[in-house]
Amino acid sequence: MVVKVISGDHAVAWGARLARVEVVPAFPITPQTLIVEQIAEFVNNGEMDADFIPVESEHSVMSVAVGASAGGVRTFTATASQGLALMHEMLYAAPQIRLPVVMANANRSLGAAAGIWLEHNDSMPERESGWLQCYVENNQEALDMTLQAFRLAEDHRVMLPVMICLDGFVLSHTVERVDIPDQAAVDGFLPKYVPVNVLDPDDPIVMNPICPPEYATEMRYQLDRAIDSAKIAIKEIDIDFSKRFGRSYGDLLDLYRMDGAEYAIVAIGTAATTSRLVVDRLRAEGKKAGLIRIRFMRPFPKGELIEAVSGLKALGVFDRSVSFNSYGPVFTEVRNALYGSVLPVTDHIAGLGGRDLTPEILSKVFQVVEDSMEKTPERDVYWHDLRGDM
Amino acid sequence: MFEVRFHGRGGQGAVMAAQAFAEAAVIEGLEAQAFPFFGAERRGAPVRAFARIDDQKIRIKSQIYRPDMLVILDESLLDIDPVGDGLKPEGSAVVNTRKGPEEVDLGVSVRCATVDATAVALEHIKAPIVNTSILGSMAKVQDLVSLRSIKAAIADRFGERLGPAAAEINAAAAQASFDRTKVGTCKGNREIAHREMWMPNWQDIPIGVTLPSGSYGKVNVGPGSSWQNMTGTWRTSSPHYLKEKCIRCLRCWFSCPEGCIHRLEDDYEKWDFRYCKGCGICAQVCPVNAIEMVKGVKEW
Repeated sequence: MVVKVISGDHAVAWGARLARVEVVPAFPITPQTLIVEQIAEFVNNGEMDADFIPVESEHSVMSVAVGASAGGVRTFTATASQGLALMHEMLYAAPQIRLPVVMANANRSLGAAAGIWLEHNDSMPERESGWLQCYVENNQEALDMTLQAFRLAEDHRVMLPVMICLDGFVLSHTVERVDIPDQAAVDGFLPKYVPVNVLDPDDPIVMNPICPPEYATEMRYQLDRAIDSAKIAIKEIDIDFSKRFGRSYGDLLDLYRMDGAEYAIVAIGTAATTSRLVVDRLRAEGKKAGLIRIRFMRPFPKGELIEAVSGLKALGVFDRSVSFNSYGPVFTEVRNALYGSVLPVTDHIAGLGGRDLTPEILSKVFQVVEDSMEKTPERDVYWHDLRGDM
Repeated sequence: MFEVRFHGRGGQGAVMAAQAFAEAAVIEGLEAQAFPFFGAERRGAPVRAFARIDDQKIRIKSQIYRPDMLVILDESLLDIDPVGDGLKPEGSAVVNTRKGPEEVDLGVSVRCATVDATAVALEHIKAPIVNTSILGSMAKVQDLVSLRSIKAAIADRFGERLGPAAAEINAAAAQASFDRTKVGTCKGNREIAHREMWMPNWQDIPIGVTLPSGSYGKVNVGPGSSWQNMTGTWRTSSPHYLKEKCIRCLRCWFSCPEGCIHRLEDDYEKWDFRYCKGCGICAQVCPVNAIEMVKGVKEW
């Protein structure tokens, strides 16, 4: 094991290297560029034995990734924001053909007036696509989850692509201490990829044929169940990972100081890190605050969430993007999962377009949630750090 | 509610027939809808189209399983599709055939109109596009929509797309068909055979809907599916190869969309008529007229 001080992007690139990825179709886009640059360098230096394929657009990135994976090789790529949006149409192919592509998405805001900074509105709309979706909190998790993602994607019970989302700049360009595992240890954890289906001229099969209505419902339901069955694999893989490397990320949910908590917020990504600090401060004041970090938006931890909130008097959900004129996507999912419960749940939107998310803002979020234990909140969605009246 | 199901082959105009019938109903002051269902868009492939007419707003958007009327633009479909399926015993049928109504067997004995719509179409339109002819015959066996409205709808739809001459020719084809239509009762002896389809439960579909070759009987998708789909039954005309004229340029072999022309060792050609759908492309690309299209399903 080697200790390095590297960015989140480089941590992901190290993950791809240690996973012995064989094909990397690539197109650079901020804040993901460091990933494919680093991989290109690894390949150039002979430290990584992969076909690095520079293509002319992200649409082609995903097309090549699908083709490579169909050919039975371990495939990795990375993107962000507009790049992910340009992949949208090809994104749907991998889950339905059941190809275990792994892709990192450095979260960045989408659309005009353009920004390059952190927001979750690039990856959230892709929850419909059938990709598994994991949101990491720090650079170590970014590396470790890249390894776990391949093990998960290629598990024959799962056979689905996995998107690892890391917060743009806040992780992608932030350097932290990262333990780089030994290659031999990784090889023990991540065996060689054994495809279920593979395109082989000597044994031809058809992949992705036109699917008449007679089969579509069953095919979609099968995919739906496969995503659900990934929950078991996620748990098992994390246990095995912690045995080998001494680091565990829990499960679909990562609970912080939830024992005896009366109120809590749900957060994903780096918002959870700063929330831990706020929880600690509140606990020091004698307040019973807690944090629930959702690690996977797909599969969505519905049952785990119901269990985690069972003792609470109020819940807040932090969202780093919004479905305009509605709510943040995480809130929509959480409140939907808790349908029928009397628990007051409020949505808290902040940190959009890279707006800095400070402990002070999160303290206000916790304050609103705390108040909602006693008094019905005046609204169900709060935009924080907003100039002008809500 | 009056429901019509059209059975034709890609290129015969079944969809257009359904649309024109719906428009004719609207001209009559009725409510109407028409819609198609087809798989791959290929000339000659079986196509279904549907029309509903009613004197009140139509509030159903599904396909038609119990039609009041069947319209069959190509009688060869009777042997490959369960065409008569669900036809109401008190319903009616219109069939493009040279036979009289009593000689036709739909599997359901109903009031039946027959006409050689292909002959009418070739006379008037100079192409085997039978939709406007068959529309004329439809006026003979139902009285919700008159021949006059049908002709007006044809003139409107074809005039808009192809100009006044086309409108006139197609309306004339409808009239000619109407005049030649024989009405009687068809036979109901035929067993309506349902195409056996592989209908797996969700657990049994191979993941990724990836189909290994030859592992599933009766699957019409996947490797080998083209072998199972005998497109030769789709022909209305057949290519006659005149070997003595052939200069072995291979243009026909290269151009055949079905891949049914086989190149022999000496570069002369051989047709596999099980898969020839009679599209005539080979005859068109031949620079020396060594291939002529002959009417009917023939083999040499």
